Amino acid sequence: MGERFSAPRALLRGIPITVWMLCLVAVPLGYTFLISFFQVEGLQIAAKFTLKNYRLFFTDPMYSGILLKSMLLALAIALLAILAGYPLAYMLSFRVRRGKQALFMLSIIPLWVSYLVRIIAWRTILGNKGVINSALTSLGLIQEPLSFLLYNRFAIAVTLTYICIPFVFIPVYTSLEKIPRNIMEASSDLGAGELRTFFNVVLPLSLPGLVTGFIFAFIIALGDYIIPQQLGGTQGIMFGNLIWSQFGFAFNWPFGAALSFILLAISVTILGLTSRFGSTEGGFLSE
Amino acid sequence: MAEENAIELRGVKKAWGDVVAVQSFDVEIRKGEFFSLLGPSGCGKTTTLRMIAGLEEPTEGQILLEGHDVVRVPPYRRNVHTVFQDYALFPHMTVNKNIWFPLKMRGISLSDAGQRIDRVLRLVNMEGYERRLPQQLSGGQRQRIALARSLVDEPAALLLDEPLGALDFKLRGAMQKVLKDIQRNVGITFIYVTHDQTEALTMSDRIAVMKSGRVHQIGTPDEIYSRPATAFVASFIGEMNFLHGRRLQAQGEMPQAEVGGHRFRASRSTITGTPGSGDEVLVCIRTERVQVNSHRGTDHEVEGTVRRIVYRGTDYELTCDLAGQEVRAVVSAVDWNPELRVGTQARLGFNAADITFFPQAEEKEIVQYTTEAV
Amino acid sequence: MSRRNRGIGLKAYGFLVYFFLYFPLIVVLLFSFSPTKTIVGISGFTLKWYQELFRDQNLLAAFLHTISIGAAAVGIAVVLGMAGAFFVSRVHFPGKSVFRTLVLLPYILPGILMGISLLVVIKALNIPLSPLTVLLGHVSFTVPVVMFQIMSRIARMGPNYQSAAMDLGANPVQTFWYVTLPMIRTALIGASLLAFTVSFDEIVISYFLTGTWMTLPVYIYGMMRYGLSPKVYAISAIILCLSLALVMLMSRYTGRSADVYRVRSRQD
Repeated sequence: MGERFSAPRALLRGIPITVWMLCLVAVPLGYTFLISFFQVEGLQIAAKFTLKNYRLFFTDPMYSGILLKSMLLALAIALLAILAGYPLAYMLSFRVRRGKQALFMLSIIPLWVSYLVRIIAWRTILGNKGVINSALTSLGLIQEPLSFLLYNRFAIAVTLTYICIPFVFIPVYTSLEKIPRNIMEASSDLGAGELRTFFNVVLPLSLPGLVTGFIFAFIIALGDYIIPQQLGGTQGIMFGNLIWSQFGFAFNWPFGAALSFILLAISVTILGLTSRFGSTEGGFLSE
Repeated sequence: MAEENAIELRGVKKAWGDVVAVQSFDVEIRKGEFFSLLGPSGCGKTTTLRMIAGLEEPTEGQILLEGHDVVRVPPYRRNVHTVFQDYALFPHMTVNKNIWFPLKMRGISLSDAGQRIDRVLRLVNMEGYERRLPQQLSGGQRQRIALARSLVDEPAALLLDEPLGALDFKLRGAMQKVLKDIQRNVGITFIYVTHDQTEALTMSDRIAVMKSGRVHQIGTPDEIYSRPATAFVASFIGEMNFLHGRRLQAQGEMPQAEVGGHRFRASRSTITGTPGSGDEVLVCIRTERVQVNSHRGTDHEVEGTVRRIVYRGTDYELTCDLAGQEVRAVVSAVDWNPELRVGTQARLGFNAADITFFPQAEEKEIVQYTTEAV
Repeated sequence: MSRRNRGIGLKAYGFLVYFFLYFPLIVVLLFSFSPTKTIVGISGFTLKWYQELFRDQNLLAAFLHTISIGAAAVGIAVVLGMAGAFFVSRVHFPGKSVFRTLVLLPYILPGILMGISLLVVIKALNIPLSPLTVLLGHVSFTVPVVMFQIMSRIARMGPNYQSAAMDLGANPVQTFWYVTLPMIRTALIGASLLAFTVSFDEIVISYFLTGTWMTLPVYIYGMMRYGLSPKVYAISAIILCLSLALVMLMSRYTGRSADVYRVRSRQD
């Protein structure tokens, strides 16, 4: 039912949000795309059209190699986050009766705990004089601190998985809760064991949530630059850091813009896939 | 003259782009009248109601409330109130505050409004519920509060949008009586939207039957039932047999048609123009007007084979085969002859006074809710 | 029997995940009270790191900056988000789903993209980095937070309440004030708290848009370059508790709870 009477007023309400979107989303992204075709002359950005930035990325195996490694790592992180988040959501949705509310809050609180605090925590745990190494040393299990814990991909993976778990948990939990319980009863009445019910009924029906969670985790992991900087060390350079460095000491904004645009293209493609299989909102922003 | 009318629609039309929701609606609704808009979903009845309320603006035409054109008047300055299907009681206000709302908008304080609130609560028989929240009431109770809220400032007309649609069958029957009583007591014009023909027939003074934005007939329940203007109205209200026939040369006053080798005369025909012999027509008769093995004489008698018998509690529905077409007859359980079985022959009697001819072209508008369709 | 065992296995696994989620937070809390820097050496209890925090004028300033940026961003986001939510919920127009996705972009795109693209435009316009540029960044991602929260409340509210109010004699301003606003009030509070929480610890976008006027996360990030001092743990612990308090407060206002999900699934 259209709201014909107040149509002009309703359209007015759309103006602020549209202006906001143009000024803070569309124009910046568009302009970034534009300068990705510019070049640096001396310390100035010259508005001369060139494809050199993109050519550099696609011809120098170092850059594309970093992207590939970042994507693989992001994939691993997303899978790890699912490995932790899916069973948690399953348990909460099907196994827990008492205290469900409290456990639900417990599962999503980490999402709202400061990002930096979580990084600090993991640096503390994984560091050379960190929690794990000190504990193992004092127990006499190791003499030298384990060096593989911090300043490498392992540390990045652990921390980003930690960050991503709630992002997987919420959409999966939402889709699990939507599964009518009588379908599962019907399945077990028909003699299907719990495992078969899971694979034939629960998993397919929770797939939209799973896909949404996976893609959120993947995008977050792929775009992050602070965690690699803090915990990745020299071998942990990720695509986000590569972009960041173009705006920092390398001071090659057009190249950085080109790299940003490549990241944007990957993210948007993946989001396009989500809107097919899952929902882009994933239940984070809906109540 | 216009003073007599609570609401008048003159050529009211509503379209969204190419989609016509209501086409050229003309009606004069008298003060104190219980007027129903009846039709299947999507027929434009709710849109019509919303245009009267001011929640939609007509594309063309005039809407007069107590003689004044209100097309450009916003809903909050029109002296009519709507009772919504979902009641739309404000969940953050108690019953008291909900009913106060229209008075508050007119600058009347809660204490000054107290008496009027008490009065409407008594009217809908809901005294003692003032402090409840809508969520704490049952469906029927919410319905009454919504009614009270709409009546408290004595509007010129009350617009009810399928107000009983959300209630279960028994409660609906009880609420129909409540509504009708209230309407009689307060004497306010009611415009009542429903898709339930029984509801419309039992409650209304007049009914407008609509389909796909078109008004098919406006009339009293009796007129609508016994003299339907179109095949659609005939099919939508009550249970009707539609037989395919061929027009015959009239002998005497009444038009005639042939169905399966039998000649039928009709007291009514809506076919305009000079009837050509052999034209196809729809021969219509109500199921309860078909006599089965009757001792009383009828104008036409034909033999048919019983195909189906459905027991419906107070009556039986008999389906017979008449030269390849189905004729349904409703026989009261009291008059039922148990010798009638599937496969036996039944004598079907028709009176010309009960038969109407409609143009064959109207066949596509027929809606059939027959037992086999369910 | 096997069914029972499997259930226990799942619960044990769930417990491990919770441990994984909360152990790091506990570590931060413990370290903030530790007189020494290593966990094994934890002996005794001290509040001296907290006292040091209060002597750090820059840190206190950064804290105030963060709060004022958060408040300002939330204020703007509430106005834009609320208008936008009603617009998207109530007006039908072609390309609406694209519009929705575009609005959501600053929230779901990697922060580095939003930060860089805003920086690039700001520099192109020769605007110096200032509190204002930080605010712009924060508004960009708090608007979708508020808007989508309110949209889901509107979706649950049904369209008839505004019509009913107008029908009963309320003009648009009265309708908003007496009906719409009270009905979305809790969603509005919840959304504001959520947006504030997100703004409070945002670093990825802020990092690009901050000049010398630093927000707390940017300031802490600077401190972290010189290693994790006990002071970092103390401020982390404070932030941690603050976030927890905000989340608890938030859960009272939004339907963000297991109950709502359960009720919804029952209705399906």
